[in-house]
Amino acid sequence: MRFRWAEWQLVLPLGMAYAAFFLVPLALLIAVSVFADEKITTLGLATWHKFLGDPFTWKVIFDTVKLGCLTVAATTLIAYPLALVYLGAGPRWQRVILFVVILPLLTSVVVRTFAGIVILGREGVINQTILWLGLSPAPLRLLQTEHGLVIALTQIEMPLLLLPLLSVMSRMDPSLRDASAGLGASKWRTLFRVTLPLSLPGLVAGCMLVFASCTTAFISQFVIGGNRLVYLPLLIWQQSLVVYNWPLASVAALTLLVSVGLGVAAISALGRRSRAYAV
Amino acid sequence: MTHGRFTRREFLATAAVASGTLALGRSAHAKGSVTAAMYPGTWEEAFRAHVVPALKKAHDVDLEMTPLFAVDQIAKAQASRGAPPFDAFVLDPGPRVTGLDRGLYEKFDAKRLGNLGRLPAGMVDEWGVTVAAQVVGIGYNPKKLPRPKSWTDLLKDPWVSRLGMTGFQTTYGTVSIIEISKQFGGSETNVEPFFVEMKKVLSKVATIGAPASMPALFQQGQCDITYTNTQTVATLRGRDVDIEFVKPESGAVAFFTTMHIAKGSREVENAYKYFDTVISAPVQAALMQPPNNFIPVNRDVKLAPYLPMASLDEMARFVRHDWSKINPLRASWIERFNKEVSK
Repeated sequence: MRFRWAEWQLVLPLGMAYAAFFLVPLALLIAVSVFADEKITTLGLATWHKFLGDPFTWKVIFDTVKLGCLTVAATTLIAYPLALVYLGAGPRWQRVILFVVILPLLTSVVVRTFAGIVILGREGVINQTILWLGLSPAPLRLLQTEHGLVIALTQIEMPLLLLPLLSVMSRMDPSLRDASAGLGASKWRTLFRVTLPLSLPGLVAGCMLVFASCTTAFISQFVIGGNRLVYLPLLIWQQSLVVYNWPLASVAALTLLVSVGLGVAAISALGRRSRAYAV
Repeated sequence: MTHGRFTRREFLATAAVASGTLALGRSAHAKGSVTAAMYPGTWEEAFRAHVVPALKKAHDVDLEMTPLFAVDQIAKAQASRGAPPFDAFVLDPGPRVTGLDRGLYEKFDAKRLGNLGRLPAGMVDEWGVTVAAQVVGIGYNPKKLPRPKSWTDLLKDPWVSRLGMTGFQTTYGTVSIIEISKQFGGSETNVEPFFVEMKKVLSKVATIGAPASMPALFQQGQCDITYTNTQTVATLRGRDVDIEFVKPESGAVAFFTTMHIAKGSREVENAYKYFDTVISAPVQAALMQPPNNFIPVNRDVKLAPYLPMASLDEMARFVRHDWSKINPLRASWIERFNKEVSK
């Protein structure tokens, strides 16, 4: 294909913004990470050695990725049935569902996170309901536990999964499902052989967004998870803004970047593979 | 179309003239401005309500505020060497020492403060001025727990199972943990005894939270006792939360919030006027009132009844810490805390 300058000019503003606000800072981050001392004077890989040589770091990396996987699984389990309801609904209900999905995005993540304390706390809505129904003699421990955090993140990240999923689903040709039914396939068979494969691009895109967003959601992780759950963003915050060890903060940030990147790549690969299998 | 173009030109010309006049009018009106870094939340709201009008009235200077926590101020100033994004810092003792080490302040001449004589001894030095005090002790819910007496009670039943803890990320958290360590034989530079004692009761501790979430966790009944400062206690009481401040037997901890001029600031003159306004009696008295609940530093201000002292001079007997010794150790303490508390 011939290189057309006129077309390339169109991407120039975005390209320059990316270079200035992403590539240059990323290069700086990498540069700072190869200093061996916190005053940023001596070059060396000592910071990398210290960070990656500590078994605790690997536990934190594992926990961060695990949190991402659990949140993606929980979000998918709840979002997909809702997307199917959307698919079967009339235009008016579709608008209602879309509005409800977008609604959480209209409030700040800080507000939603602090609301999490009110909902998940000992005297929160969930525990009061459980005690009232007599399902448990004492309040359940939800705040500052991994499952509590997954519950909160699932609620917070839900729109990120649903929006791409709904957009792909609404473009799906309804006659394909009718054809499947007409040819004698059961509802489940139609779901697994027609609807799911066709909606995979939206589902995969949504899962990638949720994974990247929840593994890096510092405020939610710290406020809902507390200090008992340590994830990579907490280490970055402590090192950069509490003890000013920028090389160590950079190393932690790059580690987070790589782990999240690998997670996202894995989801994308999984999506490609299952699409090949489905077809 | 020609007509349309004319109107647009006219419009642009008018807009240019108008904005030019506005700019001129502004500079002719005020004697300049000063940009101050300010803690977000209570501090920013209180300063907007009381310091901004007072500074305008007394010196005709506009106060612009950049909301930043202490640690963020140091990080920003350090990242922009020589061209600070604000003229004045407001800092807790830990970040203050870091800023000093990294040469982020202009030299300070206390004699330029008109209210200097109203401050108790030791409130100014060659780098800045104290503008508020903080007193740290124990906050507990008297409806749910008996009154604790000492720091060690925090790690004993029945208090420990309702205890809310934070780590070394904040000044109040750090000094509280140091005081607990001291009761078990530790010191300002040795918090090992705290870790030893904490490990024994860790599974019972009700909550270990982010510092910013502690008031919300207390309010929601997630914990009923915690180490905290008088300001947080007063603020929660203002929201009808059952909380009372206790001065531990070994003494409450006092530390001071100071202000400094950023190195390379072009508004040094206005920064002094700003500091002088902040420490003036009317402003200090207003800042002490709810919902601000600051502890004043001006002797002319009559102290609020909820404060754990009758006069400012009593604070000289409170426990103080040397942050030049604490800062170098803090990173390892934070790392240790992460490892000990995470399952």
